[in-house]
Amino acid sequence: MNFENISKKQLFKESQIMKIHYITGICALFVVAIHILMRVIMPYNMSLEYENVVMNYHNIFYAILLEIILVLIAIHGFNGLRIILIELRQNTAWEKSMTILTIIGMISIIAYGTRTIIIGNGLEI
Amino acid sequence: MVVNDIGENRVNREGLKGWLNPTRYGWERVSYWFQRLTGIFLLVYFIGHVYETSSLTNGIDAWNAMLELTQTTGGHIFLILVIGASTFHSANGIRLIFVQSGKGLGKPGRPDYPYDPVSLNKTQRSGIWIALILSAVAMLYGANVLFE
Repeated sequence: MNFENISKKQLFKESQIMKIHYITGICALFVVAIHILMRVIMPYNMSLEYENVVMNYHNIFYAILLEIILVLIAIHGFNGLRIILIELRQNTAWEKSMTILTIIGMISIIAYGTRTIIIGNGLEI
Repeated sequence: MVVNDIGENRVNREGLKGWLNPTRYGWERVSYWFQRLTGIFLLVYFIGHVYETSSLTNGIDAWNAMLELTQTTGGHIFLILVIGASTFHSANGIRLIFVQSGKGLGKPGRPDYPYDPVSLNKTQRSGIWIALILSAVAMLYGANVLFE
């Protein structure tokens, strides 16, 4: 088996993907902390009321923060799943299929979450 | 079956069973387990969370119906588990970043009987304990906020 050819076909080397995994993990830690803080700056139940949540989405900075959280966690989470899945079996076909499956999952969840953020931003109270 | 350059069979014979076997590797294996299990659990929660918040787009009634489903005692207990899992995953993840960059592993030495791995030193073990203690504290704080 020629490993040189496999690495040439990949967009990123595994070592680069691991760096992306660590960076997205650490960045997600900070942005999720802000997201949680928004739930506890007022009584928790009150923070979940429809008007308060829509107001959050109307705040452009918070909407951008939500989008960043969505992208970071989707990349980190689905890449983590890919790492777990390719640990279970080692062959090129399996690795390729798992990579494609997780990329589809990642893009789908980002698209669906972005749709909520965009519609939420335009909602009237 | 995949065979590498020197003719070795590279099939992972044990698969999931080998992944879940806690008997051979001690605390490092427990942390490996928790890191993956909490990771999968958090990914499932993340997908569910994106889905539940999308009810916002269907108006106030759909949002309140979703809250009725999730803001229950069971829902709060589930959220406390999410808090614990995310705290452990983050703290242990930071430890793993240090491990992969070679920090806190100690110096390599001659393998002497009883062949205890140098890498499983006090620093690593205390790292795992710190992650567990932090997640317990975070769960207590979360319970306090959710059930106040």
